[in-house]
Amino acid sequence: MSQASDADQDFIAAAMPAFISEAGEQTEAIESLLLELEEQPDNRELLDSLFRCAHTVKGSAGIFGLNKVVEFTHHVETLLDKCRDGVLALTPQLSTLLLRCNDQIKFLVQIANDEGADGTSQKSERAELVAQLRLYTEGSKAEVSGTTVAAPATEQAQDKGPTLWRIKAQFGAETFRNGMDPLSIAKYLQGMGKVESMVCGFDQVPALIDLDPETCYLGFEMALESDASRDDVQGAFSFVEDDCALEITAQESTQQRLVRQIDEMPATPRLGDMLVSVGAVSHDKLDELLSEQAQAAPDAAQAKPRIGDLLETKAGVPPKVVEAALNKQQKTREASGEENRYIRVQADRLDAVINLLGELVIAGAGANLLAREARNVALVEANLHINALIEEIRNGTLALRMVPVGETFSRFRRVVRDTAAQLGKEVNFEIVGGEAELDKSMVEKIADPLMHLVRNSLDHGLEPPQERLAAGKPAAGKLVLSARHETGAILIRIEDDGRGINRDRVLQRAWDKGLIEQGVVPSDDVIHMMIFEPGFSTAEQVTNLSGRGVGMDVVKRNIEALRGNLKLDSRPGQGLRVDIRLPLTLAIIDGFMVGVGKSKFVLPLGAVVEVIEAGGQHVRVDAQGRHVVELRGTVLPVVRLRSLYDVESALPDRTSVVVVQAPKGKYGIEVEVLHGQQQTVIKPLGRLFKNVRGISGSSILGSGEVALILDVGSLCDLATVSPQGQASPSDAG
Amino acid sequence: MSAAFDLPAELNIYGALETRDALLAWLAANAGADDQPLAVNAAAVAEVDGAGLQLLTALTRLDRPWHLVDPSAALTQACATLGLSQWLAQHVVTD
Repeated sequence: MSQASDADQDFIAAAMPAFISEAGEQTEAIESLLLELEEQPDNRELLDSLFRCAHTVKGSAGIFGLNKVVEFTHHVETLLDKCRDGVLALTPQLSTLLLRCNDQIKFLVQIANDEGADGTSQKSERAELVAQLRLYTEGSKAEVSGTTVAAPATEQAQDKGPTLWRIKAQFGAETFRNGMDPLSIAKYLQGMGKVESMVCGFDQVPALIDLDPETCYLGFEMALESDASRDDVQGAFSFVEDDCALEITAQESTQQRLVRQIDEMPATPRLGDMLVSVGAVSHDKLDELLSEQAQAAPDAAQAKPRIGDLLETKAGVPPKVVEAALNKQQKTREASGEENRYIRVQADRLDAVINLLGELVIAGAGANLLAREARNVALVEANLHINALIEEIRNGTLALRMVPVGETFSRFRRVVRDTAAQLGKEVNFEIVGGEAELDKSMVEKIADPLMHLVRNSLDHGLEPPQERLAAGKPAAGKLVLSARHETGAILIRIEDDGRGINRDRVLQRAWDKGLIEQGVVPSDDVIHMMIFEPGFSTAEQVTNLSGRGVGMDVVKRNIEALRGNLKLDSRPGQGLRVDIRLPLTLAIIDGFMVGVGKSKFVLPLGAVVEVIEAGGQHVRVDAQGRHVVELRGTVLPVVRLRSLYDVESALPDRTSVVVVQAPKGKYGIEVEVLHGQQQTVIKPLGRLFKNVRGISGSSILGSGEVALILDVGSLCDLATVSPQGQASPSDAG
Repeated sequence: MSAAFDLPAELNIYGALETRDALLAWLAANAGADDQPLAVNAAAVAEVDGAGLQLLTALTRLDRPWHLVDPSAALTQACATLGLSQWLAQHVVTD
């Protein structure tokens, strides 16, 4: 290939990560487009975007000299082109093939930096895929020559009437080397309308002996009758624009010109202005009409005559022109709402900012404390203002990390589709509430457990079609993945209408495995949760689908590690619902601060149910040596932080018991001082403290003190077992 | 008969250099037989792109008679798309 200079090499090396990330996005898009197309096979727009994605990958891979990607994607592109021409229908088989191809493209992009990573199995799979793609593309050739130009008119803006575009293009020398092809562009243009004439300019092609076959010398002149806009036509050249001499001229009627000018106008939301500026109506006439409009309805409640109607009836503006202007107005309104303007920011930079903000919060709280101590009212007030601003900035910055969960959810479409096909099951997969937002790091960490639960539902929950029919259910199962916000948390729900959990079998297995004492029958909830116990997933239960490395116990652990919790709701024969509640972010919690001696602890506020005064004598020791407290007739186990963490200080006169709600039930935590509610920035614990039970993190207070954040879930285990580390001084208080 | 060149199935950028060299070699080999028109057989062409077509148009500059034989559907279609139908008609000899 071309001899790239060192500078070029440097540039390529620097730009490669960006390419890989963008190509990754494109392949993601290809996947979701393919899946969407399965549901709406006639959607031309989806097909067009699909083609563009493949084309973009190929084009940019060409720039980086990734020949394998270019070559392979080229075959895919050829096939997609046939689909666009209407020669091939996008059947489920074809889309399966394309999905597999897309996996290979993804793989090739990933190994772009490392040619050696391409294994023989991948190579042979690609060879096989290419062979299959060819089968499709070549099998349809005969039909192609028969149908020639089918001219599938783009439905957009048909009312305008087609325009005759004269397109003159002379391609740059590097066109082929960049992975582009005048032929594909011509084909693309052909798809936009009716080609009136087409002449290839090859007079610059030298004699064979002087010809560098990889340099492009071609040009063409095309007359294309199409409904497409100038932008659309020009869009066909978007990948070659830089070194392509391009002239696009339109022959159009006055009406078409007005309509086009309106379309091309920058965002000017007022209808009248639009029409005045293109000369469809005079300024004076517009003013006249506007005042007429105002007079006609002095009362705001009364419906005003619409200016559009007035323009049509009184000023004689052609209805189509008014309509175009209205459309433009509508589009502008929509566009301003959803225009995607993103800035790519490295995640660690954002993390650094958030980290700094955490420090700022702490420093702010420190300054606040000093101001209070100094009893300087003005200073306190200034500090309050600063703190309020800091909080706003922090919330805003944390919001930057929020991404819609839908992106992760839509990845599951493919999994569901493939898994269902493998299992011979039919399933309608629905995604609800994909726009709910969650911290990016959470989204990444929740993907695997979710995937496992979804697979589990498909594998164990949903029955095969005949079984479903026999049970009086529709043959196709239903699987709904939904997300929604609940106070300070997000609820992700996986719901199927399968057979639910077989309570008796689970119970039997739990007995067999010794997870529950033989003969003991706990509540249904407890039995259901057994499926998340380590060692419960047995060989019999794990198929090659559900048993991909992580067991259900890992799912539960992962979710709990995110400070989330799991809840099962099984209706035998009717389905299973898995609820996962997760905090919105890992960086900050609303905390409830308590003290024992000089030590301070923070409890997640959401877990706190109530606080009861316990004058020491109320906390008793039961027969098994556990501390308990009686609350309105029920007995709650109590964790005594003082003895658990060996806090040394003088015993206080009175203690309080904070009643908290853990996934396994309520229990109490005995503390000495209640400091109250406080927003807490979580700092992870060092590795040294990984094994400290009941603590999930730490936080630095405004005063510079360190407070430990209690993990309500694991502390619960300490409360319900008989205390070993906890000495049991029953005379406490 | 000896003066027929068989175009490959893939007449595209990936094989363009190779095909050009093969064509040049073949032209050189047939340099003596000036009286016999050169025949380029395009029956096998299944895959063709702009670079492939460009290569064929370069033959136009040959200073001796030549013609295309039996162009495949794929080639005909590609020529039509790129506005080379007329050119193709001029150079195809049906026998």
